Amino acid sequence: MNVTMQPYVPGKRQPAHMPKGKLSRWSELKIWWREIDRVLLLLVLLLMSLGTIAVAAASPATANRLSTASITLDPLYFFYRHLAWQVLALGTLFGVSMLARDNARRFGLLLAAGMTVLLFLVPVLGAEINGARRWINLGMQFQPSEFLKPGFAIATAWILSWRMRDPNMPVAGVATAYVALIAALMMMQPDFGGTILFAGVWFVAMVLSGIDMKRMGAVIGATIAGLTATYFLYDNARHRIDSFIGGGTAYDQVDLGARTLTAGGWTGAGYGLGIRKMSLPEAHTDYIFSVIGEEFGLIACAIIVLLYLAIVGRVLMRLLDEDDLFALLAGAGLIAMLGGQAFINILVNLQLFPSKGMTLPLVSYGGSSTIAICLNIGLLLAITRRNPFLKSRTMGLGDRLGFGQMAPMKDHTGPARREIHP
Amino acid sequence: MNAFSGFGPAIAAGRSGHGAVSMALASGRVQLVNIRQESLTLARWRVLWIALGFAFVALLALVRIAYLGASDHGARGTSLEEALLPPRGEIADRNGVPLARAFPAYALWFNPTALGEDGTPLVSEPEEVAARLKAIFPDLDEKRVAAQFAAGKQGYIRRRVLPEEANRVQEIGELALEMPMENDRHYPQGSMAAHVLGYVAADGKGRVGMEQVLDKHLSDPNTRGTPVSLSIDSRVQGALEDELRRGMKLVQAQGGAGIVLDVDTGEVLALASLPEFDPNKIDARGQKLMFNRVTNQVYELGSTFKPLSVAAAIDAGVVRNLGRRWDASPVKVGRFSIKDSHSMGADLNVVEALIHSSNTVTARVADELGPERMRRTMIDLGMNERPYIELPAKGFPIWPGEKWPRLRSMTVGYGHGIAVTPLHLASAYAAMVNGGIWRPATLKKLGPGEAPKGRRVFKASTSSRMRQLLRAIAVYGTGKNADAPGYRVGGKTGSAEKPGGSAGYRKTALVSTFAAAFPMDRPRYVVIAMLDEPRGTLASSYQRTAAWNAAPIVGRLVPRIGPLIGVRPDDTRDVDITDLKPLIPEANK
Repeated sequence: MNVTMQPYVPGKRQPAHMPKGKLSRWSELKIWWREIDRVLLLLVLLLMSLGTIAVAAASPATANRLSTASITLDPLYFFYRHLAWQVLALGTLFGVSMLARDNARRFGLLLAAGMTVLLFLVPVLGAEINGARRWINLGMQFQPSEFLKPGFAIATAWILSWRMRDPNMPVAGVATAYVALIAALMMMQPDFGGTILFAGVWFVAMVLSGIDMKRMGAVIGATIAGLTATYFLYDNARHRIDSFIGGGTAYDQVDLGARTLTAGGWTGAGYGLGIRKMSLPEAHTDYIFSVIGEEFGLIACAIIVLLYLAIVGRVLMRLLDEDDLFALLAGAGLIAMLGGQAFINILVNLQLFPSKGMTLPLVSYGGSSTIAICLNIGLLLAITRRNPFLKSRTMGLGDRLGFGQMAPMKDHTGPARREIHP
Repeated sequence: MNAFSGFGPAIAAGRSGHGAVSMALASGRVQLVNIRQESLTLARWRVLWIALGFAFVALLALVRIAYLGASDHGARGTSLEEALLPPRGEIADRNGVPLARAFPAYALWFNPTALGEDGTPLVSEPEEVAARLKAIFPDLDEKRVAAQFAAGKQGYIRRRVLPEEANRVQEIGELALEMPMENDRHYPQGSMAAHVLGYVAADGKGRVGMEQVLDKHLSDPNTRGTPVSLSIDSRVQGALEDELRRGMKLVQAQGGAGIVLDVDTGEVLALASLPEFDPNKIDARGQKLMFNRVTNQVYELGSTFKPLSVAAAIDAGVVRNLGRRWDASPVKVGRFSIKDSHSMGADLNVVEALIHSSNTVTARVADELGPERMRRTMIDLGMNERPYIELPAKGFPIWPGEKWPRLRSMTVGYGHGIAVTPLHLASAYAAMVNGGIWRPATLKKLGPGEAPKGRRVFKASTSSRMRQLLRAIAVYGTGKNADAPGYRVGGKTGSAEKPGGSAGYRKTALVSTFAAAFPMDRPRYVVIAMLDEPRGTLASSYQRTAAWNAAPIVGRLVPRIGPLIGVRPDDTRDVDITDLKPLIPEANK
């Protein structure tokens, strides 16, 4: 044994053996395939394929709505565009998932920094669409807030994991200040739904990082107070909540969505045979869940819900065995971002939540936001990368609950003990 | 090198670059490692909470989906097949002529956010837009609409806009004026048969008539594809309404009621209550006129009951000899006295009594029949319950109850002290002339052999005799004005004073009815025409009685409808009344 080995620094695993020279592309790919969460990847790809079918179903409704006397859009216009975006997004997903955990963290932090800056510029450079200033044009139109989402989850996790180095750092304060800044910038756009999502991810990270129960109660109380204040001070939110409680009119989006959702019964009208979808204002984005309901039935809707639950559950269950606090916080934050957005959208479609103007991630037509969501998944895959041969030394919660990765102790010998960290 | 040697706090080897290993640094690291372990354990437990939170939200969504699927709202799916069906089933008459149909129409809707959330909803001034709308829709409340525009309140401006009006609204060029397609109910025959059809209210549910009765059938995707055939014949209905309206106007009556009934099946070929409403345009005035006089209003129908009493008497064997002469002097029962409208002689036979409509003789015949047998006949004719018909509005008769005193059977004998709807009378007349079988009236078209069996009220022989008597009244008596040449009409007038006023009845407010059937040699249809409070005008020779206002309506109506429904005028046929002629002085003049 080499006695001059480096001391253990908490929160960081040192590779025990570093192969000399660069690994070949092919072996890097093989390592990647061994290390990523293939079940998660499969679930995500399955959901994206279902989303592609759903966009094909919803595309005629939006194409018809946006066609004018002079320009008639192809009924599958949005479907073709969605395919193109998905190819780009899948490239992003695979590319980002190849990153090592440290590089993924660095990338996430850079993304967060860059997009926070852009978010500052939105009020100046932004283009106003539908009464909200969210978009920015840098050669390509995109919403900085969409790309900030994965960066934010990683940045918050990073800030909160400083505590591993120095327990006296005011990590909670810094993280709270950051989310407050983002929330303020989001509300200026205004984007109430996005604010809720960022606040939710921050809340999840705070809960996981060990905030005590009293403080948590205070946060929940402050949230309720904040929401009440928003209702009275913020026109956009008040309109939406009012129309949610009041039931709205026959022309209300929520009402149209609900009617579309149930129009197909249990088994649906069949692909391309929906009628109600044609009167939906945002068939291909916010209300795609309703279109799925009309054409493929409520059973398909339930399957979509279960798929999201499976994705969220899969990630969280794997995190139970995570040894690295940063990876745990970042993974939870990223999946909370994705799952939160998905479930808020679904609840809006099911008329259980006021209209938020939020897409269904991985399913909706999203344009550039498809890339942002795949970036989120890619980072998630990169951060949850795990050497299948490396077993946890300590007993994780997952092991105690009976579904952990930890192998029996007696297996701790043999040639499979090599640790490879490219 | 052992890969695991780096883990665990036991090895506190210092980094070579940092020089000496101090105990303080080592204890700091131990502390860090403890913090790390505690944080990780806590974080892992809380990951479980987050997972439970998501599971709860997913469960909520699944329960909601199940609820939506189980509620009847959701169970009805959209299918392409259904999309091809009319949104609401059509109603047609017995020959397939459409009476109510569904068609897509436009409404005019004000959407203040069409130009975006902020800024004014209209390009021009609200008053100007309202004025331009007023030019298209002259009955528009310009001030109210201008106020709605100014307030930015979304809502309907009009529920129904014609395509050509829609084009003119488009020309105004205001995006906030939207014209959504709406399913509309159209009654191509206008106000015809309005009381039979009813209308469809803004909530999509039928009201008043068959629209209400057939609501389920007309909205069910399985049945709404084929039009519902009513028993109504639109040609007969049109003629009935036309003649009734004409008759009503000639004598300035308050209202009119009419019905044409198939005596063998109970099918209603026409049913009219005037004044009518227009189901295409329901307004406050229309709402007031929805009351159906034929099925909902009960009247003391007066002398039209006399043939029923005579039929009951013949059937019971009370009148065996038509030549028997009955005392025609006023009948005194206690303080009550029954008189005739004018003197008809000291005594009359039953035929003369019917021809001249004698109250006294009918009262004596009814008296001899007795209250119990009179009551039994009335019950057999369905006079003690609501009329049998599909319509929702059915009036309950004013029925004298269980135990009838002697006077009651006498007054019922000439149609007083009992109030029924004109439909009751029509069904009773049908039973009287069709061979004695009473059948419920229906508004649904019956196929061959679908006619209800009915119940026997009169013997066939009684029915034959009544045909002769009714024909004799039309030929020699008060029904002369209804005797359309060649159509062998038989019938009885009835002019009853309406209840009210100080004396119990109002002398000048009458209900004039003519109840008829034709052709009397083989009766096919019963026709009832009734006028509410007719006045004496030049057209009715300043008379208020049915002979001068209701009977002519039937006299004009029968030649119009007869050829359409299989009764041709024929001078060579008629019911044989030669055996009655010796009993009728007028016949021997």
